[in-house]
Amino acid sequence: MQDRLLPYWLLVPAFIIVLATTIYPLAYSFITSFRAWDLTKSRRPEGFVGIDNYIYAASESQFLNSLWVTFIFVITSVALTVVLAMALALLLRRKGPMHTFTRIILILPFAMSPALIGVSYRFMFNPEFGVLANGLGAVFPALQGVPWLADPQLAMGILVLTDVWHWTPYMTFMCLGGLASIPRETEEAARIDGASNLRIVFGIILPQMRGVILVMAVLKTIFALKMFDQVVTLTGGGPGTSTETLAYFIFNVGFRWFDMGYASALAWILTAIMMFISIWYVRMLLSERKMATA
Amino acid sequence: MAEVRLVDIEKKYGNFLAVPKQSLTIHDGEFLVLLGPSGCGKTTTMRMIAGLEDITSGDIMIKGERINDKPPKDRDIAMVFQNYGLYPHMTVRQNIEYPLKLRGMDKASRKDRVMETAEKVELDALLERRPSELSGGQRQRVALARAIVRTPSIFLMDEPLSNLDAKLRVTMRAELKHLHHELGVTTVYVTHDQMEAMTLASRVAVMREGRIVQLDTPKKIYAEPADLFVAGFIGSPSMNLIDGAVKGGVFRTDGVEVPVDLGDRDGVVLGIRPEELEITQDTDAAIGGKLYALELTGESTLVTLRNGPTSVCARGHADFEADIDSPCHLVPKDGARFHLFDRASGERLR
Repeated sequence: MQDRLLPYWLLVPAFIIVLATTIYPLAYSFITSFRAWDLTKSRRPEGFVGIDNYIYAASESQFLNSLWVTFIFVITSVALTVVLAMALALLLRRKGPMHTFTRIILILPFAMSPALIGVSYRFMFNPEFGVLANGLGAVFPALQGVPWLADPQLAMGILVLTDVWHWTPYMTFMCLGGLASIPRETEEAARIDGASNLRIVFGIILPQMRGVILVMAVLKTIFALKMFDQVVTLTGGGPGTSTETLAYFIFNVGFRWFDMGYASALAWILTAIMMFISIWYVRMLLSERKMATA
Repeated sequence: MAEVRLVDIEKKYGNFLAVPKQSLTIHDGEFLVLLGPSGCGKTTTMRMIAGLEDITSGDIMIKGERINDKPPKDRDIAMVFQNYGLYPHMTVRQNIEYPLKLRGMDKASRKDRVMETAEKVELDALLERRPSELSGGQRQRVALARAIVRTPSIFLMDEPLSNLDAKLRVTMRAELKHLHHELGVTTVYVTHDQMEAMTLASRVAVMREGRIVQLDTPKKIYAEPADLFVAGFIGSPSMNLIDGAVKGGVFRTDGVEVPVDLGDRDGVVLGIRPEELEITQDTDAAIGGKLYALELTGESTLVTLRNGPTSVCARGHADFEADIDSPCHLVPKDGARFHLFDRASGERLR
C-alpha cells in the first residue's frame, strides 16, 4: 500500500511549488480582475465589481490604442522576422568556408538582454551623437538631424527593428533545423524536372517548411504580444502613446496608477489573446501532422 | 539517338579524388548498370551525368553535344532517387504532373499524359493520394511515373530498389526490365546489389575506388571476371577464392589439388563458383575437408567445408544432410571453369 502511494508523495513538493508560484497567482489575479482595488487606498482588494473592469476596457481609448499599437507591432515584427529568418537560413544552409564563424556571429544578438538592446539602440539613434543616426545622415543627407525616436512612425519602426534584430537569429536557427530535415532529393528532383531556383524555394522548400514556419510564427507572435523591455528602455511608450504596447500599458495601470483590479483584467485579456492563438496553433499543428502522417 | 559519352571525366572534392580520370560510352537504348560497393564513386558518376555534381575535368556528351555547363533541366534526363524524392505536399497526380507543368504543357494534355503514365505503372487508382499514404513500392512507382511522364532521352536511377523489401524488389525489378523493353530509353542504373545488376543490365560497369574495373555484359562478367575484386563481388554466394601455388600443372593448397593450365608459380588464387562444385563420396576428390556448415536456401543447400585455412562452399542438393565436422569431398562438375588470379596484383592469370 505504501509503495503504491510513494510516487504521489514524491510529487507533492513539486506540486506545492507549482501551486504557489503559478496556479495561486493566476487564480488570485483572475479573481482580482473582478474587483476594484486601488493600491494607493487599500492594501487588500476591495469589493466585487463583476465584469466592470472588462466593460471599461472595451471603451477606454488608451487601452484600445495600446491594443492597436500591439497589433501593428506584432504583425510587422512577426512578418519581418519570419521572412528574414527564412531568407537567411536559405543563404546559410550550404556549408561554406565561413560556416561556423557565421553561425557564432548570428547567435550574438539573441544572447543579448532585450533591455540592453533597447538602451543601445536609444543611444545609436540619438540625433546628436548616435552612431546609426549620424551614419545614416552621412550616407543620406536628407536624414541628417531626423529625430528618430521623437517621430511616432519612426519610433515604432525602430522598436520593430530592435525586436527583429533580436529574434531573427534564433528564428534562423529554427529554419536551418527545418531545412536540414527536408530530403535533398526533393530539391534535386525539382531541379531535374525543370524548376528554377525561385520555384524550388516557393514550390518545393516552403511548402515542406509549413510546420516549422507555423511554430515560428506562433512563438514569435506570443513573444511580440508580451513586448515590454525594449519599450521601457527605448521609447518609454512614446512619443505620446505611439509605442505603448499592451504589456507596457498593463504595467503602467498596475504599477504607476496602482489600479490593480483593472490591470488584472487587462492582463487576462492579454492572456486570453495568447491562449486563443496557442489553441489555434495546436489545432493547426495537429492537422499538419495528420496530413503528414496520413 | 541518346548516347552518353563520358570523356576523361574526373571528380575531386578538395584533395580527395572521388572519380579518377576515365571514359565510358553508354550506347543508345542501353541499360547500363554502375555496380560497386558503397563509396566506389558510382553515384557520383551518375550525379555528374545528371548535372547535380560539377565535374573537375573532362567532358560529358549527350547525343553528341557537350553538356558540361548545362543545368540538369536542359539535359533531357529524368532521375529516380533512392529515397524516391517525391514532393510530400503534392498528390500523386501533382507529383507526376509537375515536370510537365514546368515545361509549360497545357492542362488538357497534362491530364491525358498523367493518366496514360499512371496506367502504365498501375497508379491510376491512387492519383489523389499523397506520398505519405502510399507503400514503399507505390512510392517508387510514382517516382518512376514522374520520370517517364515527359519521355526523356535518358533515365538515371540511383539505387531505386534499395529501400524496398526483398519480395517487392524482385517484383519491381521485373517491372523495370519490362518498362525498359517497352520504352527503349537509354538507362544508367546505380546499385551495389549484384543480383540487380545481373538481371537488369545490358552491360555492367563494375567500379572500385572510383575506377571502372570491368565493363562488359553480365554473362561475360560472371564467366570471366577481370580480377579478384570482380570475382569476389559477382555471384551469390560469391566465388570460392582459394590461396595456393601451382607446381607441375597442379594447383595445391590444404585439401585442394586441382589440375590447371598454368606454369609453376607461387601466390596464386584459384577461383571456382559454388554452383560448379558437387558433393562426392570419392575420398580422392579434388577438394576435401571437414564439413563446417550446412545452409538450406530452399532450392539447394550451401555446403561449406574447411581444411586448415582453406574454406570452400558448394551448392548441393536441397536434401543433402550430413553431420558437422564429418569428412566431406567436393569435385568440380563437368565443364566447370577454374579462374586463376595473381594474389599480389589481383589480376586474372587465366
